[in-house]
Amino acid sequence: MTGELLAAMNYTSLSEICDEPAEVADALEHAEAERGHAAAFAAEGRKLGVDVANNVEARHWKRLREAFMRCITERDFMGCLIVQEIMLESFAVASYARVGKVAPGSLGRTFAAIAAEEEEHIAHATAILRTERGSDAPGFDEKVYRLHLDVMTTLARMLAKDCRDGHCDVCDATCVKPSLFEVSLSAAELRGASLRQYLKTLDMLGIPGEVTLAWVAQLPV
Amino acid sequence: MEVDFALIGHPESWRAAADVLAVLRGPQHTPLPDDEIKDILPWIPPRAVCHVDAGSVTGAKARGLYIDSFIPPDRLESGYVHENIARVREAAAWAIRAGAKIVSLGGFSSILIEGNFDHLPARHDTVFTTGNTLTVGFIVQGIKKMCALEGLDISRSTLLIVGATGDVGSGCARCLAPMLSRVLLSARNVERLRRLAAELHADGVEVEIATDLRQFSAEADVVICAASLASPSLRLGRIASHAVVCDAGYPKNLSPRTEMPGASVFFGGLGQVTGGLRFVPDFRGILNRHPFPDVVHGCLLEGMALALEQRFEPFSQGRGSITPERVEEIETIAARHGIHLAPLYNADGPVEDGRHCRTEWSRG
Repeated sequence: MTGELLAAMNYTSLSEICDEPAEVADALEHAEAERGHAAAFAAEGRKLGVDVANNVEARHWKRLREAFMRCITERDFMGCLIVQEIMLESFAVASYARVGKVAPGSLGRTFAAIAAEEEEHIAHATAILRTERGSDAPGFDEKVYRLHLDVMTTLARMLAKDCRDGHCDVCDATCVKPSLFEVSLSAAELRGASLRQYLKTLDMLGIPGEVTLAWVAQLPV
Repeated sequence: MEVDFALIGHPESWRAAADVLAVLRGPQHTPLPDDEIKDILPWIPPRAVCHVDAGSVTGAKARGLYIDSFIPPDRLESGYVHENIARVREAAAWAIRAGAKIVSLGGFSSILIEGNFDHLPARHDTVFTTGNTLTVGFIVQGIKKMCALEGLDISRSTLLIVGATGDVGSGCARCLAPMLSRVLLSARNVERLRRLAAELHADGVEVEIATDLRQFSAEADVVICAASLASPSLRLGRIASHAVVCDAGYPKNLSPRTEMPGASVFFGGLGQVTGGLRFVPDFRGILNRHPFPDVVHGCLLEGMALALEQRFEPFSQGRGSITPERVEEIETIAARHGIHLAPLYNADGPVEDGRHCRTEWSRG
């Protein structure tokens, strides 16, 4: 849920650097959709009697928000899309889709539906970014790499099998990772699926596979 | 960049996979622990790992790509066949998208994609070769060389081929049978064994077949292990104490625990590029883990040789169609470009100086 709220904040910020009214409307629409996802997760939690934790100030999430805001400060629309749609959404799509397969009833359906919606967002952004890359591939790839080092390093730490640097401030020390096996998932599986989705999304942008493989291989574990 | 050839492979072992990931991580990062490698590798989608530049002694050059399907070494069993076919097809799609004119299929890739060529994405000008004809050529050359080194008269020998009905096994049978006194063929499919035996028998060769190695009436003194085994698990049992044994499997066939005191074991099907071989990034000795420089499996070298020759054709396809004439043809092409049989070696090191030939076989 924290991720969805962060995405809503990011899109709202993005709307503030858009020049065209249609772009502003599009960004705000996305923000609203992300808020809707957060609300859907909270509602599913209530059905189960679980108070879904959220904390956009938690250290990893805060770093991710800061990375996005640096793009906003630079009025870097493409950078914003890369951070939100290529990096953060890759992880969201992969993990939600896996949870959607194993979670029962409406919970599973909610995860699966949100994964599908996020995938549409990725496809939309990929089309824009491919065109952008077409005008200056080396410059574009350099920008993605710079953002990768910033954002993906944080995401990789979040998705590490064990939280080696202490808990992440979202879970309030009740980390979900050790319990994933109860729903036939594992932290390693969610991380693997997320990195796979990320690599495939980078492939769609046209960045050479041998380059992105090295990027991902260098992430912390 | 124009791509003349692509090589599709997969890691032979977890150690090999770890070494590839260590190069990708670079010296500034600590190598990944083994458990992390096993967690991560299955999730890596097939993709190009490096560029490969091959040179010919004629001065010709060919540019290529090494594409890894990243099939985890412990998932080669039949239970993963659909997943693995999808991986090889995805790797093939990479080669096609890169515009490779010829694609060589290494290790299990050719077996997995056999019968699935029509299901690949639109291929435009890309052709595929299993590379098995040159593999057979190097196995046969290696057997002859090793027999000569060991003073073994091949014409008086009994040849055993394990995995005899496969493309490589049957090709070796056709090439070597006419030179030997007796041939023992072993494979899982008895009907295919019978067909191959009938074919060889029609050429005047004495042939015995068995699905179980213990059923043969004679001891072999020349052995080719060419079975498609998911891991090194083959135990040969009863063979002549002085036998020459070629392990041509990828992954290797012979179990590390098999005991063959006195046998001369070597890894077969390998060639050496003498006109120059360059990997970018530098994966020398990582993707081709051999004790000699520029040694590559014959199946991959076939595509390189054909690219250097500018003969972009599906030289080896299907199963059981490798003939001595085709082997000679690809050997001639390879030799023209300085691609020759690699120096022989086994798990203990080089064997041509005799130091490791007759030691007790162990793979450490």
